[in-house]
Amino acid sequence: MSDEPAAASETDADTSDSIADMVGVWAPRGNEVRVVAGTAVVLALFPFAFSRMPVVSDLLQGYQSLATLILIWGIFALGFDLLLGYTGLLSFGHAAFWGGAAYTAGVFSQQVSGSPVLMVAAGTAFAVLLAWALGFLSLRRGGIYFAILTLAFAQMLFYMSSSPLAFITGGENGFTGVETAELFGTFPLESELPSVLGLLLGTWLYAFVALITVLCVALAYRILQSPYGMVFRAIRENEQRAEFVGLNVWRYRLMSFILSGLFAGIAGSLFTIHGTYVPLASFYWTTSGEVVIMTVLGGTGSLFGPIIGAGVYLYVENIVSGGHPFDFIAPFWHLILGLVFVVVIWVFPRGIWGFVRDVRDAVTGGDD
Amino acid sequence: MSFHIEAITVLLNGLQQGAIYILLAVGLSIILGTLKFVNFAHGALYLIGTYAGLLLALEINLTSGQLQEWGFDQLGLGLGYIPALIIVPFIVFVVGLAMERWVVEPFKDRPDTDQILVTFGLAIIVQELFRVFFGSSSLPFSQPAWAQGPPQVPFLSTIPISSWRYYVIGITAVLVLIVYVLVEFTDFGLIVRAGTRDPEMVELLGIRLSRPYIVVFGIGAALAGVAGVVGGPLNPVNPTIGNEILVPAFLTVVIGGVGSIAGAVLGGVLFGLTQAILVATYSAWAQVGLYAIAAIVLLVRPQGLLGEAEVAP
Amino acid sequence: MALLETENLVKEFGGLVATDDVNLAVEEDERVSIIGPNGAGKSTLINLITRRLDPTSGDIRFKGESIVNRDPHEVVQMGVSKSFQTASIFSNLTVRENAEIAALAAEHGSFGFKFLEHRDSLTDVHEVARNTLDAVGLLDQADRMASELPYGDKRRLEIGIALAAEPDLLLMDEPTAGMSPEETEATVDLVEEVKREMGLTFVLIEHDMEIVFRVSDRIVVLNRGRVIAEGTPDEIRGNPEVQEAYLGGVDL
Repeated sequence: MSDEPAAASETDADTSDSIADMVGVWAPRGNEVRVVAGTAVVLALFPFAFSRMPVVSDLLQGYQSLATLILIWGIFALGFDLLLGYTGLLSFGHAAFWGGAAYTAGVFSQQVSGSPVLMVAAGTAFAVLLAWALGFLSLRRGGIYFAILTLAFAQMLFYMSSSPLAFITGGENGFTGVETAELFGTFPLESELPSVLGLLLGTWLYAFVALITVLCVALAYRILQSPYGMVFRAIRENEQRAEFVGLNVWRYRLMSFILSGLFAGIAGSLFTIHGTYVPLASFYWTTSGEVVIMTVLGGTGSLFGPIIGAGVYLYVENIVSGGHPFDFIAPFWHLILGLVFVVVIWVFPRGIWGFVRDVRDAVTGGDD
Repeated sequence: MSFHIEAITVLLNGLQQGAIYILLAVGLSIILGTLKFVNFAHGALYLIGTYAGLLLALEINLTSGQLQEWGFDQLGLGLGYIPALIIVPFIVFVVGLAMERWVVEPFKDRPDTDQILVTFGLAIIVQELFRVFFGSSSLPFSQPAWAQGPPQVPFLSTIPISSWRYYVIGITAVLVLIVYVLVEFTDFGLIVRAGTRDPEMVELLGIRLSRPYIVVFGIGAALAGVAGVVGGPLNPVNPTIGNEILVPAFLTVVIGGVGSIAGAVLGGVLFGLTQAILVATYSAWAQVGLYAIAAIVLLVRPQGLLGEAEVAP
Repeated sequence: MALLETENLVKEFGGLVATDDVNLAVEEDERVSIIGPNGAGKSTLINLITRRLDPTSGDIRFKGESIVNRDPHEVVQMGVSKSFQTASIFSNLTVRENAEIAALAAEHGSFGFKFLEHRDSLTDVHEVARNTLDAVGLLDQADRMASELPYGDKRRLEIGIALAAEPDLLLMDEPTAGMSPEETEATVDLVEEVKREMGLTFVLIEHDMEIVFRVSDRIVVLNRGRVIAEGTPDEIRGNPEVQEAYLGGVDL
């Protein structure tokens, strides 16, 4: 009868409506699919192009492990940019979250479980809680006080790990007891992926890190497309007005700090998995300084800038410094990075990524 | 050693270490208070002071770095410590003038974060320049032979503290006094203080602040240079010491209260004494305790111990 | 019950008494102007009400509730909005985003955890923003960067931001300062229209006496932190103390 099919299709429509309602606010919109898919593609091709592709990799002299490390620092810088580029807050103590997560993941693997997924969860949880606590204390004032307070807290953690807590952290020698297990109990992280995947991506470790990186990019993009993205930028532009429009600026700043701590925590945990060792320097202010440089170099206030910045910095630090074919400038690598950093701040605040986009616009005629 | 002697040793060590912090903090404080400029490169000025002092005072052998690779195995003028002490402040003063003209001026109106970032970058550049040319390993810069033992004076000769350390305390006291007199009792100081309160008004009165400001920066730099010369023989000399000392220096400023010379002195003394006491007692917790105290002061009294509470707009 | 009341409000800065025992009451739907020579304490009074400053003593009540211990954003959420003397906008956001920030705070409160929801799903915010921009005549420029607007438009955006918060009480600190006669006219018309449509109560600080006398139900005159006169435009016009306060009198 004519009622039945109609009734059937109505309930179908109802179901898909309610699913759409549920997924509604979560569903990808606009550019999101493109951005995330694009990232996934680039990350899939990256290790091959960097370390195995004929001609290109000979030129670049890249290697698999460095590709993984670049992604890890990229996640750290991505989160850091939420705080610096979008909310306008400069922290010089983010090593606290990176190092904190790294040590937590390491100790967790030794004492509880070596599951990489759980290690990341543990490290990240520690970083988030720490960020809550330190953010609560440091954000009372902005500008220089905030920078100095975050620096002071991170230094405190460094010195605590150095002697009083050395029985946990290994002190000056770092933490050497990392016991990472197989991914999902089956896949050793160091082993190669089967057939084509192995050629492209290399190891299970890279696949693991790359997947997490894609998720982090998706998360960061969604945060920026959410009301938070607008609020962060408003706070950076005119904090007073944001308050007088009715926004609780203090809480949003704290959230920005905690979210940046989340990314730092994920990255720090992956760092431990990647290196199977946690150096004491993970807490030192130079580490905080490195993420600042990477973020600024790549371009603050952009999604991909910080990751590019991490790539450039690590490339120069590990390959340019090594000698051939960069013999002439090898001893000056750090100096050159410092100079480029100052130039970027002085005249080109949109960084390397901004420069790339300008070139692309000039070449393609400028509309996108 | 009797408890007496130990206690006094710790006290004097603390004062001497505090003196170094004071020299740095006073400079930083007046720069921050007057020019409203955040100078993360202040440690680099200390570094320049140390290396310049070393090269003026002594002749040394280089074992690494580009200079050594280019054939300069031995460097230094060997003029002695006193000439070095006199010349270095002038050198660093000039460096300070240059920095004010070319870095501070263009960044005066840019946000705090930009100032921090650019001076941080500068600090790295200076550090790396020294590393490239002089190598990473520590260079030998010991206290002068005539100041190595305790002073030949009745009580003090029993305390195991070299004369050099007393000179450090003395030089610091004299310099801080000079700066204080300059700021409080001269026309120059008056202009600077007025400019700190209300730069617009001062300019409207027809007084150009750019000249006094350059001098203020130069003075701050010179003080950092002196800290480098007198502190050099007491610590290892390598390219990282500039940035290492930056954090305690800033903490001293912020704890004492930005813009207050007395605050910088108080902060420095507190910091130095705390450090010395902790090192002598719970040495494992020394650094942690220091930063913890700094953080507590900042949290309880954000304007610093002697700073002004925020004035309403 | 008055919408806004201050009781024995005092504000001292060191030795200077900027607000001296001010008792003010603004009824709903009233249009009150606060005037006085420079330094009379008008801005200080507004800043006390918006909680940018803490009073030395005294009370401020909005809708019967004391607000002296509230944060500025809380007071805005309660229904007090202020438009600033200078065009205090978000320069590197688009005009639309400027309005949406205010609308977001109005529709979704001072804080939320919506960092996983796409902005496009917040239709209520978009609507309020659109209506606000329409009301101030900036809808056609919605996608321009706010920094690119000419000054007069920035001022209108400023007022728009204050209105998007959907306030019950609007405080305006010299809204027409630096505007040309045409812009001033347009602003006054805008404010009157908004008042009609939204049933707004407002408190205005102004130096332009023409506007003050045209637009106000009641005028409060401050001098040296104290209220020296209060009344209808006619009453104030003829008040000798007011004329004296302005040193020789403004051409009233």
